[in-house]
Amino acid sequence: MSNTAGNGAVLVVGGGISGLTAALEAAEVGNDVFLVEKNAYFGGRVAQLNQYFPKLCPPTCGLEINFKRIKDNRRIRTYTLTTVKSVSGGPGNFEVQLETAPRYINANCTACGDCAQACGEEIADPFNFGMNTTKAVYLPHEMAFPRRYVLAKEACSAASLDAIKAACKYNAVDLDMQPQTFTLKVSSIIWSTGWNPYDPAKITNLNFSSSKAIVTNMMMERLAAANGPTKGKILRPGDGKEPASFAFVQCAGSRDENHLQHCSYICCMATFKQISYIRAQYPDAKIYVFYIDLRTPGKYEHFREKFMADANTTFIKGKVADIVAERDGGVTVTAENAITGAKVHQKVDLCVLATGMEPALGEQGKALNVAMDGNGFVVSDAAKGMLSAGCAKAAVDVYTSGQASTAAALKAIQIGR
Amino acid sequence: MTMNVQPDLEFIRAMKEAGGNTLKQCYQCATCSVACPLSSDTKPFPRKEMILAQWGLKDQLIADPNVYLCHHCGDCIALCPRGARPGDVLGAIRAYVYRSLGWPKGLADLCSKAKNLPVLIGIPAVVIFFMWLISGGMHFPSGEQFAKVGYTHFFGHWDFRLLAKNVLFIDIIMLGSVGIAVFSLYKGASALWNGMTASIGQNEVLYRPSVPQFIKQFLWPAILEILAHKRFRECTINADRVRGHQPLVWAFIGLFFVTCYSLFVQDVLGIFWPSMHGPLSMWGPVKWVANVAAVAMIMGTVILWQNRNKMEAAGTANTFYDWFLIWIIMGVGVTGLAAEVLRLVGVVSLGYIVYYVHLISVMMLFLYLPYTKFAHIVYRTLAMAFERYRESSYVKNPLNG
Repeated sequence: MSNTAGNGAVLVVGGGISGLTAALEAAEVGNDVFLVEKNAYFGGRVAQLNQYFPKLCPPTCGLEINFKRIKDNRRIRTYTLTTVKSVSGGPGNFEVQLETAPRYINANCTACGDCAQACGEEIADPFNFGMNTTKAVYLPHEMAFPRRYVLAKEACSAASLDAIKAACKYNAVDLDMQPQTFTLKVSSIIWSTGWNPYDPAKITNLNFSSSKAIVTNMMMERLAAANGPTKGKILRPGDGKEPASFAFVQCAGSRDENHLQHCSYICCMATFKQISYIRAQYPDAKIYVFYIDLRTPGKYEHFREKFMADANTTFIKGKVADIVAERDGGVTVTAENAITGAKVHQKVDLCVLATGMEPALGEQGKALNVAMDGNGFVVSDAAKGMLSAGCAKAAVDVYTSGQASTAAALKAIQIGR
Repeated sequence: MTMNVQPDLEFIRAMKEAGGNTLKQCYQCATCSVACPLSSDTKPFPRKEMILAQWGLKDQLIADPNVYLCHHCGDCIALCPRGARPGDVLGAIRAYVYRSLGWPKGLADLCSKAKNLPVLIGIPAVVIFFMWLISGGMHFPSGEQFAKVGYTHFFGHWDFRLLAKNVLFIDIIMLGSVGIAVFSLYKGASALWNGMTASIGQNEVLYRPSVPQFIKQFLWPAILEILAHKRFRECTINADRVRGHQPLVWAFIGLFFVTCYSLFVQDVLGIFWPSMHGPLSMWGPVKWVANVAAVAMIMGTVILWQNRNKMEAAGTANTFYDWFLIWIIMGVGVTGLAAEVLRLVGVVSLGYIVYYVHLISVMMLFLYLPYTKFAHIVYRTLAMAFERYRESSYVKNPLNG
């Protein structure tokens, strides 16, 4: 392949809102950009939200314009289902080995859906955190970009695979697709690998797996999203009950030496946002928010004030340290109210754990010798040609991710000069 | 307006020395109060005690029954998101409180630091040695005599049959030590009770229980609960401790009974039947109780010793406050049993030396009781009685409002 490093080409690892922004900023000033994404689609965590700050837009609002810009920009090459295997060289002259996992569906796909009709198997839908199932050949989500199906080949029987292949009018199903490795030469790398919701099962005292009435805040986003498992109606997973009461458990795994040491920054605002979802659907539902302290930086303060004034929303200063499943499908959460000095045992229909952001690069980053801080965030170091943006760099909101991405793009194009 | 805030360095230093140096880590999330199996719904702990300690509000801590209700099981430490180790901090607060309630203050301060250990051992060593010198008993007996009288002529012997010379000297030493300890504990317990009742606005009320009522309704149920080790058993992280503490408690009760029996038989009945003098028969049931209790004491202490080693390996601070009592009890048990064995095999000189060390350790146990961890025997029991009193109809009596 041609040596693109000399042209100041930029590799952007991770195609969420930060990676999309960094890629566009670098490409729109004239640099070649390779944008790689581990998932089968671009858009990352933002795509999974119901609404996002600062303006509570649905994700289509911000992502669609970016997808359009990417499609229109000939300097950006995109790769899905692709991960970085090794990095060698230095600033201005990196050689990066990558691997693309087989999608089993080629570019002929028109997303007509005939293959899914023919497919007999279903899998837990990863986009909705397993709250529903989807056919084993599926479009990752309604507005997936690239708009192309994916086949979970290992979940299908041989007969089903034959049926899927036969059902496709466009010859888009390629069951013999193999993992492909390739090399890119770039002058700088932007890590925008984002975050994963912290695994709530690790917070053993919150007994996440003991009840379906305990969900994470990201699951709550899917429950509230129109393209989610409940078509946007907030219902309790499992029995589909309309919850009359909610508990929000703040700092579930964040600011905790035993879990994530850092403050995940977004969870307080995510909770206020999710209170707004609940209020839109259940005006009289009782809501209890258990917190250590509420962190609503800057002008988010106004948003907080609005919901602090809600008569049916109670704020309890004290971290939930025990959750017990109840026979009627609800749960009882226990905390000490530090203001009254008494324990609170609150029974609710649905309990939302405000789980934090765990940097997604993790162990893989260590293997690649990416400089990371003690919490696993990537250290942005222009002198080494390695930059970071968004939640790969620090736990931040979408707005700050955008700023960090533009900053990273600016540093990246300077390395190429 | 200017405000001159003086940090209470003495309190901060005392906290650090007693293993509470993680105190400042606490950010008041209150996870500990929920994690604690002993924390009640209406008066949970240790979250509140953590901030009282951070703010240096010692007076409130001294009068806070929760400080004593904590059994330091470590369930809060395991879940604490900040490594603030609330269980250790409460232990340090108790060490501080025992010291502040202790009388005389000099002795209480002496017991708070490891560097005073030579003095702490030296005081009983000198006192007992001095008594031995003035008793005139300072010689080793012959083998036959040793076999017959054992250590009962340690401080010599005279023919005044109403009070044995040895008993007189032992009583001067031990009852003197116990007397100081009892007076100190009485002062401390009164201060604690007044503080605790004042904290619920019940210090000057019309109706309160008489002493028999107090014992029957509050103290005795608390003692029964202690003997059963119910609260220890609530613990999940450090459940092993009950295997060490319970034999130790029964060993103390057994040895207390044996001591009283021995005193009665030898020094009361012995007045009328001189043959009652001398060591208890090895085949009598009382001596069995004594030996079983001595072994239980050593075994219990070994378990607690190992447990503390384990706790320290897991990160609990290594403190003199925690170890001192374990050392003393181990000293009492080992020297006591060793002196008995040496008596039975007839090794006179070594037996006498070991017996001397045994007297030192017993005197340390009694004399330092109010200032060491041993003080919990009184203060925790009192707090557990108060906990019952707090919920009783005396407190809820509208005439007491």
